[in-house]
Amino acid sequence: MLDISALLEELKRSPYEEISVCAPHCGRVGFSPALKEGLAVYGPQGEFKEKAGTLLARIERERNLKEVSCPERGEIIAVRRDLHEKFVEAGTELVRLRHFLSRPEAEKRILQKALHLFLAPERARYYFVPSKDIKIKTAGPRSVSVRDGEELFIMSRMKRETPLPYSGPDGVIYAVYFSHAASVESSTPLIGVCPPDMLAQVEEVVLRVQTEWKEQY
Amino acid sequence: MHMMETEKQIQRLNERLAYIRDIFADKDKPDVNLLAAAMEKHLLRSPSMNPSELREAALALEEFFASIEKKLDHELSPMDLVRIVRHPQRICLRDILENVYDSYTEIGSMDEHSIDPSMVIARAYITRTSGKRSFNQSVMIIGHEKGHGEDFRNGGSSKPWGNAKALHYMKVAETENIPIHTFVFTPGSYPVEDTPGAAQQIAANIYEMASLRVPVISVISEGGSGGAEAISLADRRLMLSHGYYSVISPEGAAAIEGRLRGGGRAANDLVEACAERMKITAADNLRMGYVDHVVIEPRLGARPFHYDFFRTLRHELLRVTDEVSISMRGLRPFREMRLRSRRKRAARGLDFEKAYVRWNLPPSAQIRLVNRRHKKYRRLSRQAAPDKTPLSRRISAAWQEVGWGLYSHFMHDMIQKRQQKVAEYVDEVKSEWTLFFERVLSPWNKLLDKILGASERVNRETMRKLTELSEWNVSLEQRGGNWVYVSARAREDRAVSCPNARVHGCLDLWAPDLYGEFAGVCPNCGHHFPMEYQWYLHNVFDQGSIFEFAADVECGNPLEMENFTPKLEEAKRKTGHKSACMVFEARIHDARLVVAMLIGDFRGGTVGAAEGEKFIRAAERATRKRVPFLAYVHGTAGIRIQEGTNGLIQMPRCTMAVRRYIDAGGLYIVCYDTNSYAGPVASFLGCSPYQFGIRSANVGFAGPGVIAETTGMVPPPHYHNVYKALARGHIQGIWDRREMRFNLSRALLTMGGRNLYYR
Amino acid sequence: MSGGTPKILIANRGEIAVRIARACLKLGVDFVCIYTAEDAQSGHVRLAREHGAKKGLYRVSSYHDANELLAVADDSGAGALHPGYGFFAEDYRFARRMQRRERPLNFIGPSWQVIRDLGDKINTKRLARSLGVPTVPGSDKPIYDEMEAEKFARTIYEFQLQQGIEHPVILVKASAGGGGMGIEEVHDIDLFRSVFRRIRNYAARQFKDEGVLIEQRIRDFNHLEVQILAEREAANIVHFGTRNCSIQSDGLQKRLEAAPGFAPASISYGFDAQKLLDAITAHSLIMAKAVGYDNIGTWEWIVTRDGAPYLMEVNARVQVENGVSAAVTRIRGEAGVDLIAEQIRTALGQPLGYSQEDISFEGSSLEYRIIAEDPKRRFSPWVGRIEKFQWEQKDWINLHTHVPTGEPYDIPTEFDPNLALGIVWGKDLEEAKRRGLEFLDGLVLEGRGSHADELKSNVDFLRARTEGVLVF
Repeated sequence: MLDISALLEELKRSPYEEISVCAPHCGRVGFSPALKEGLAVYGPQGEFKEKAGTLLARIERERNLKEVSCPERGEIIAVRRDLHEKFVEAGTELVRLRHFLSRPEAEKRILQKALHLFLAPERARYYFVPSKDIKIKTAGPRSVSVRDGEELFIMSRMKRETPLPYSGPDGVIYAVYFSHAASVESSTPLIGVCPPDMLAQVEEVVLRVQTEWKEQY
Repeated sequence: MHMMETEKQIQRLNERLAYIRDIFADKDKPDVNLLAAAMEKHLLRSPSMNPSELREAALALEEFFASIEKKLDHELSPMDLVRIVRHPQRICLRDILENVYDSYTEIGSMDEHSIDPSMVIARAYITRTSGKRSFNQSVMIIGHEKGHGEDFRNGGSSKPWGNAKALHYMKVAETENIPIHTFVFTPGSYPVEDTPGAAQQIAANIYEMASLRVPVISVISEGGSGGAEAISLADRRLMLSHGYYSVISPEGAAAIEGRLRGGGRAANDLVEACAERMKITAADNLRMGYVDHVVIEPRLGARPFHYDFFRTLRHELLRVTDEVSISMRGLRPFREMRLRSRRKRAARGLDFEKAYVRWNLPPSAQIRLVNRRHKKYRRLSRQAAPDKTPLSRRISAAWQEVGWGLYSHFMHDMIQKRQQKVAEYVDEVKSEWTLFFERVLSPWNKLLDKILGASERVNRETMRKLTELSEWNVSLEQRGGNWVYVSARAREDRAVSCPNARVHGCLDLWAPDLYGEFAGVCPNCGHHFPMEYQWYLHNVFDQGSIFEFAADVECGNPLEMENFTPKLEEAKRKTGHKSACMVFEARIHDARLVVAMLIGDFRGGTVGAAEGEKFIRAAERATRKRVPFLAYVHGTAGIRIQEGTNGLIQMPRCTMAVRRYIDAGGLYIVCYDTNSYAGPVASFLGCSPYQFGIRSANVGFAGPGVIAETTGMVPPPHYHNVYKALARGHIQGIWDRREMRFNLSRALLTMGGRNLYYR
Repeated sequence: MSGGTPKILIANRGEIAVRIARACLKLGVDFVCIYTAEDAQSGHVRLAREHGAKKGLYRVSSYHDANELLAVADDSGAGALHPGYGFFAEDYRFARRMQRRERPLNFIGPSWQVIRDLGDKINTKRLARSLGVPTVPGSDKPIYDEMEAEKFARTIYEFQLQQGIEHPVILVKASAGGGGMGIEEVHDIDLFRSVFRRIRNYAARQFKDEGVLIEQRIRDFNHLEVQILAEREAANIVHFGTRNCSIQSDGLQKRLEAAPGFAPASISYGFDAQKLLDAITAHSLIMAKAVGYDNIGTWEWIVTRDGAPYLMEVNARVQVENGVSAAVTRIRGEAGVDLIAEQIRTALGQPLGYSQEDISFEGSSLEYRIIAEDPKRRFSPWVGRIEKFQWEQKDWINLHTHVPTGEPYDIPTEFDPNLALGIVWGKDLEEAKRRGLEFLDGLVLEGRGSHADELKSNVDFLRARTEGVLVF
């Protein structure tokens, strides 16, 4: 049986994660002047996330100036000022920020411990098979139930695609951990499945997090 | 008893005072203060007065009120009128139905139980006598209902389905051959894009109303832009003296004038000034010719207790409905005579209640009615768009027009039809002969095959055809991005990011590739970056085939808006055009067509009197020459608000021109590029049965900012994207810019009516 | 080379990046490498660290992003760029951009006009026909009209019947297509129209060009190539003989190449093989001269069983298999020819320094492609870690790889799973084959991960195919 209280306590002890914002590509970087350690920053906002997050830096490549904006709400803990007005390589860390976990994120973390996780067998890109994909896109993942041995994924690597069956207990897909075009490392979870007998426990996790998790700003 | 009476009287006066305060809002009017002081004094004193003193004091107070109200009525500013019209005490459609007509039944609504409670349809009748007989004359009533501020009425702001209901019952009236009375009480249409979209529905309404075969009389109290046009195209337009009729709300105009964005509010005096400059009053509109007659209201505007006013309105409605019916019936000399004598008698105080006139029209009168309506609108707003073409050229152009008409008739109606018949006959005979020969020769061929062995028959000619260089005229085809016109932006050495990069992972594009070879299309996701209109001029139509006409019709500043003339001059200088509409003839694969293009760079492609006039001339030219008519919208932000109703009236005017063209058997294609919004889309563009969007374009009624402001809902991203417009049923297809020439030439062959010269 | 030569940015990865870097070292030219996060272990990264220029290594977001390469070139001060093969090698827009940008760069490859003109199927075919170079019977311009197309298709059908082909097949392909997209075969001439319409609509949707090409389908052929090299300004054009690339996997990926293209001394053919090789070489040279070819390039031919050659296409770039041609080439009798070094030298404006008379050919060479994939499972790629990779060093083996031999190597999943090229040389075909098998026997390739035995089965596949090399 899952010790929800212990998990919650553990998470409460360090209720944040550190996010490093890296240069998306090579170019000359310039930091926004207001940026300093301790500054509160925001991720994309608006009903449709249509407003970009706090402007962190600008990066210019081939006379094309692009903005690097903040991906999540949080607090800045480091700025690489030494790179200001310098050419940086792709993937160079520019800003590091501390992001306090929101209620859904805390829920997701604890649920990872409660659900049956189906892991990626190999490093590759993964997709749902089209019939499931449509259902998940329109009605959400919890509308899809899976059975052991059912063909659920398409694994894409080396420009070739192979079908991948699900293995594990029958149940509904409670969470999806991979995104459409991103490469997934081997042995990282792809989906979390909730078998019917675990539903009560999962719902308790949700309830506990709802009542006990206080979001910090 | 008397006590009660006086108390009521004072209470009513108090209400009048409150109303006056509302009307003049936070203006500091001495007269209003005077009234308030008098009332206060009266209330202070009244407890110590005996009943007869009270009565007298009340009477005196009422007289004082009347005299001040008279004075205030003369001082009403246009913005005060706007407040009058929007006041919850303003008469509404329900009051008119109850007090003007003798009986009525609402169709499809009971208060909030309606598909759109802001649009009310009713069947009503008016009882009139002729001698001893009495007649119930039916009319179809269509109008906005503000319902004295009832929430669910949405302030008379109709949704697309409300306008659709209106259109439905206009057609019913047409079937039943009864006149339509429309009542315009709207601040504007509700700017949602739900099926099929506000713009599309208004366009449909205007298009149908253009040729409704029954008399339409409209009465305007609050005529707010597109929402008003959706039901106000009429044979006679009455306007209430305290109403307004405007292309945009004064607040909206002020927001644009003050360059406010994102919900900022303009200062009150700017709003007042805008209301003043836009010439929105009944008197202004009468002077400019956009309404036919003004119905005088009681001082400070009609309210439900003004029973006299309802009588006046009834009288006016009877008069104009009679007039329209009489002027269409019978033979011309009699018509004129009857109309004249009636007018004389009316001047002498003819009682319309007792002078019955039939309102249903025989077929010949129906045709006359529609023709007159078209002529009436064709004449409007000419004064607002000066044509600077020299007289000599104008005369020769007029002759040419006559010539084209004759030529088209001669060529296409008389000769071509004969030729076609002959050709068909020849074809038939030919195919019979080939069949015959094949049958005769086939045994012979088989024999030949047998005699000559297969190897012998490796024909030198076949060999040559399959392995040697063939002839090919590459210059005829635009292969591999060899565009005739290349944007100046293709000369910069810089990279450009595709707006969809995050979603589709598009890599940055090099400007010379993007704006040159790629024609402004992202090769990864197909996003279309906006291109200059010149790109289309040179890459869509045959080279050197463009011939511009009516270039000298120039847009002006008919309302003499402050600071606007220099802005116009700047636009003219910058673009080298005299208006935002360029009309020209061109060819595609040698097929001739007339094109009207709205240029987004010229004041946002807004449409005023000049643009409307040019558009109409283009439609008329296309009719005469029997060629397809293309409206290429490089971009339009709507009607040019600085021209006020001079601009707004282009909605029905141009739509009617399109209607005439389509009815004459033409092909009207609309192609939207970049951003197309508001009035033009809600009328002469949106009415086309063949509307196409260039990929990544936006089409709709009101921009996201306006939607958020008026409805309180933030529209989702890409709300106006062409794909959404296609899904809503607004447009009929989406074109890739690079294929526009091909698609257009295919459209010319596959779409359109009977009267195209190449058919 | 002299001090005035520019730094070269190597805009590629893997085996070709290593080879270019080695060529630069040989020529004494400074070079700069790029890599992505997945490729940090790759051999070219190590080379750049050890021998590259001062700012000689950059991490980039993608090899596919031209802006990234140019930004790196500017920052590193590189004056020339070698595209390798794949990525930007045949992208005329990229070459054009390099030439036209404000800080121009030398593109080590043919001029952008040549890349564009020879990258276009129709253009190439028409150019060939105008010079009398044989091409596949069929249309040489896009056909749009259905009636015209059907008439043409019937002619091809008849033509095949006349040649004695029992079941004529017609190929219908989108003229703007490529890489096997938008191609269909027509076996029943009466179904031609529907196929034509389908391809035309597909082409309009996919390529924005409705043009369709109609050709006879050639079957049962060998795939030959002619290696060409020219100075800048196209003053001096030479060829480096022919090679045969007929041994391919299901996906039409080449697996085993041989030079020269046929071996009439060891194998008998149904036609005069030497004459045929001479003919395609001559035709290729004529065409190269006509277009003003100005760098390295390959003319690809198909040869039918009757010995009829048809020009397929021109690859205006260096190819994977250039080493197999180099192995049999002698310049003024000297072995050790490096075509990539020659390519760089000429691209930087140096004269060739020799002419066709100075080039001779000796012996026979085979090139094995060592790829992490399983021939038994339809050549599906194998992903995992290479634990051990060794081979016996011999003076007749030349092995190109980016895979480190001293440490384990994780195969990146983002790219083709090529591991190495093993080129062996023998004085004749028999010796080359013998040595080839010897090379494969001595090859140690061990991996960890699921299906690690697949690595071996790929070697088995190459071994099995060695016997049939050049047999037609």
